[in-house]
Order: sequence, then C-alpha cells, then structure tokens
Amino acid sequence: MSSQCTGNYTGKAPAVWPAKVNQIPKEVFGDAALFEEELKTIFYGDCWHIVGHFAEVPNVGDFKTFDLGRVPLLISRGKNNQVRVFYNTCTHRGNQLEVATSGNRKEFECPYHRWLFSLEGALTACPGSKEFAPDFKQENFGLMEVKSAQFMGLIFVTMGKNTPPLTEWLGEIVPPTLSTLLGGDGRLKLLGYQKVRYDSNWKGYNDNDGYHAPMLHTAFRLLNWQGGTTGFQRMTKNGHVVFEAELKAIQNNGFVNDPSLVEFKGSDPARGSRIVQLFPATVMVKHLDIINLRFAIARSHDVTEVHYAYFAHEDDSEELVQHRIRQGSNLLGPCGMISMEDAAIFQRIHIGNQTPGFAEFQKGVTSLMEVPMDVKQNDETGNLPRWEHYRKVMGFKREGEK
Amino acid sequence: MSSPSLLSSQSTASRKDKSSAMVPDDFMWQGYSALETQWRVERLLSRYVACIDDDNLEEWPSFFTQDACSYEIITRENVERGLPLTLVFCTSQGMLADRIVSLREANIYPQRWYRHIVSNVLIQAVAEDHLEVQSHYVVLQTRRNGQTSIFSAGKYKDRIVLQADELRFAEKRVVVDTHSIDTLLVSPI
Ligand code: FES
Ligand SMILES: [Fe+2]
Repeated sequence: MSSQCTGNYTGKAPAVWPAKVNQIPKEVFGDAALFEEELKTIFYGDCWHIVGHFAEVPNVGDFKTFDLGRVPLLISRGKNNQVRVFYNTCTHRGNQLEVATSGNRKEFECPYHRWLFSLEGALTACPGSKEFAPDFKQENFGLMEVKSAQFMGLIFVTMGKNTPPLTEWLGEIVPPTLSTLLGGDGRLKLLGYQKVRYDSNWKGYNDNDGYHAPMLHTAFRLLNWQGGTTGFQRMTKNGHVVFEAELKAIQNNGFVNDPSLVEFKGSDPARGSRIVQLFPATVMVKHLDIINLRFAIARSHDVTEVHYAYFAHEDDSEELVQHRIRQGSNLLGPCGMISMEDAAIFQRIHIGNQTPGFAEFQKGVTSLMEVPMDVKQNDETGNLPRWEHYRKVMGFKREGEK
Repeated sequence: MSSPSLLSSQSTASRKDKSSAMVPDDFMWQGYSALETQWRVERLLSRYVACIDDDNLEEWPSFFTQDACSYEIITRENVERGLPLTLVFCTSQGMLADRIVSLREANIYPQRWYRHIVSNVLIQAVAEDHLEVQSHYVVLQTRRNGQTSIFSAGKYKDRIVLQADELRFAEKRVVVDTHSIDTLLVSPI
C-alpha cells in the first residue's frame, strides 16, 4: 500500500522539527533562504573549516586560493615557513588579490594600483602614498588575516568570534583516527586533484552513511570486499563522525582482469578503511593505500564543489607512491570505478527531497526520542548526532520543546 | 576558485607543450605515404569516438595495443603543476576491460548521451615504429531533459602503432581543460 502524505511541500524549512529524532524535514535541502542563514551561522560563524593542508603549499612563497562559502581566501607560506590564511583581497579598494588557484610568488601585487604585499601579509609598497588620506598609516594596511589553526598540517579557519579552541572542537574521538589517516604525522606529499561540482546541497553531500556502502556500491560485492567485524563508528556531540573498518584484502574472484589495482600494500595494515567526517562539510578518507582529503565549498543551496586532493607520505618508497597514484586515479571519487555512485546519489537526494515529508533514518534506530551515540559499523544512525547538532546550531526547535 | 587556472608563469612555462615543430610533408611511414598516414590516423580517431558514442564500449579496449598500453585522463591543471594524479589511469587492456565491466555491472550514474567531436589532427612526430599525434576534442553531453552542454574539452596526445594491420593506441593521454567535472565521469573520453 502506498503511504499517505500528511503535509504539503512548502519549499521552506519548518521552524519546528518533528519530535522523532530520525526525521529530517526534506525542505532543509532545497531552501535557498536557509542557505543564506547557514552561511552566516555555520560557514561564517563559530565553526572551524578545513581549507587545505600544508602539503599543498610545501615551499616558501607557495600559495593556494580557496573559498569559504562566498568568501575568497588566500593561503600563503611565508619566509619563516609559517602558513597564514588571509582574505584574498587588497586592503586598498578590495580588489581580489590573487586569481590563480595555486602558484609561487615572491610577493603579492594588486594590479589595480600596484600595492604590494609580502608573503607574510605586510603592505610593502603603495605608490603615491604622500597624497593619501591624513589618517593613512602603511602599517595598518597589511592583508587581513583569518584566524587559523592546524592539526598535522590540516589548515582550519574560522571567522566566528566565539569559536572554541581547535583541540576542544575536535574532541577526543577524532585525533587518533585522523592522525593515522594523515600518515601518523601529517608529513604528506601532494599527488594531485580531482575537482567536481555536485548539483546537491552540502548537507546531502555530507550525509553518506554506514548503511549504504555494501548496498549502493555493487563493486564492493563483486570484488568480495569484506568490511570485517572489528570496525566501528563513533560520533561526537558536535557533529563529527569517525569510521573504521577492516576492509579485508581482496580475494580475486575473477571480477577484475587486472587485480594489481586493488592490492593493499598495507601502508596502514591494521585498517583498510578510515573515514573522518568533520562538521560541517569535510570528509577525509584512507581506503586501502589512498589518502584523500576532500575540501568542500558550499556554493549555494543546490551546488557543492569538492576538491578531492590525494596524497602520499613523505617517507614512501617510489613504488608505494606509484601505487597510491594508481589507486587514487581509479578507485574513489567522481571517476572512481568502485564508488562513483555516491556522486549520482548526491544529485538524486537533492532532487528527490523536494517533495513533502521527511527524510527518515531507519537502520540502527532504537529510540525515537533519543539521539543515538552508540551505533554499529553499518548503521545509518551515525549521522543523527550531526543532524541534531545542525538543528541546534541553526536554532530549529523540536515539537514539544520550548 | 571558479576563475580559470592562471598558474604562476614559472611553472607553466616549464611544462608547456612544445608541439609546434612540423614534420615534413612527404614522409613515408610503414609503407604509407604522408597523406595516407594522415587519413588512417583520422579514421582511427573517428572509429574510436564512434565506438564510445554509439555505446559499443565492449570493443573499446581493442583500440589499444594488446601487450602493453596506457590510457590516461589527466587534468591540464595537474599537468601544469607537475602533479601526477589522474582521473583515470589504465596500464593494461585488462584494466580497460575492468572499467567497462564496472560501468555495465556496478556503477550507477545519470543516463546521458555523449558526443565527441575530434578535430585538428596533427601528426607531430614520425618514428620508425610509431607516430605521435595530437588532436583536440570536445564532448557534448545531452541530459535526460534533452538539453545539451559541453561536458569536457581538451586534447588527445596519442602514440600510435601498427599492430596486426591496424593502427592502435600504444598510449592515449587525454589532457582535460575542463577540470571541474560535472557530477562524475563514467565513460571513457
Ligand atoms: S585596489 Fe588594490 S591597489 Fe588599489
Ligand atoms: Fe559511498
């Protein structure tokens, strides 16, 4: 029998969510006005956001540009090897300072009136300054720095005034898995990028769960990959998820003609799979010998851009580097033969949720009134603490709540 | 980030493609005149893209040499930065076949039609046993709503040999200008 629809699709996220913790109002995905609120509250608010890794700017003078929502950022490695994050704007009249996605500079020059900034952000030249406004002081016009912090080379920024310190924000569950994922010490070497645009809300992009992997990804089954039994999924109250699975080495069952691609050279033999998902929108994975950090940009309520950056470890043998390149180039991400389905789902989740009712979690739900903090490897409930955190941050009430 | 990649002049200059050298008008290769060689190369490329666009993908691996071959799709952005990671990287006919098996049996993706347009076919080097050929491509995609857009633009860098009386790719390197992929890439280019 078909189910009866109780409400109308309004397109606008309701201010009050259902009492049941497993029901997400579908409107949160397609509401353009809500996206503007999320920019203010989450992306420009009191959260840490990952915008890069030191390995992307390995040498003095290296820079990378990135966007946080609509705000352009400039990440620069200065003379003392310190990495700083600036707003990517000239302090004169606000011209975008650097247009390249990456490169190496001796200094940053704004072409408009040729103001010149050092790698450390100081204003070093500004032609015609004798005739500038009486209150002009050159030392007050260095590049505007964004508050940043780092964890094993991962670059975090926040524009909020009341963001907790990074260690507090990461909590206790995240660091052990994250450091192993980053090769133990974060001394990574950049291998390259795959960049993709999803026609999807950032929350849909971010809502991949522990239930779907063996279901959606047929190749997992065809390859006879075993998730194992010692894995876990752990969550923090502020919306992070840590996932580990054995992902046992593959017995070739004849599905692949060339099994060398899916060999596990065991750079991290205890676990074939580690995933760290940090609120709001960063996913980082280590699958087999692949180290993949996914830098996401929430462009609008219906577009999310993701830069899949792949890494080796500085101490890798040349053979292992080649293997990582081959696996990174073929298995995961938007072109990967074993998980590109995720990309198709992000788009379909976005379209399909512009209908009445709720996106309703089932697998692993044991209580309708309590957000689960204890979930199994293949439950989808691992995402509910993140939704709960999102709900609270955005100020949505629950039915019956004052 | 949406602005085109204007890389630092240093790194771009060092990795520029030095491809303007001309081969003579009147070479002979494997018994073919220059004109006939050009015609055979163009026919190979036309058959190759017809195979993809007409969805005869099971035949796609046979356009490559049997023993060792290489098929690579890499973004121009990675190439110009000297970064080795690719979008697709196959080093055997077996791996090419695995891509197709996976596309047919495992992958889920939006149904789209692809149409390749190949032009500017330029033989850049003539060696005794192979040719080096560059050409430009555009892939148009037509979504289910009937709208057509450009999915990918770039160039082919091919190393072509004669094997069992057929021209085949010993190496095919697809250098993609369009480094922001629309959703996913499932079909070969
Ligand atoms: S806006 Fe940059 S120098 Fe004037
Ligand atoms: Fe997935």
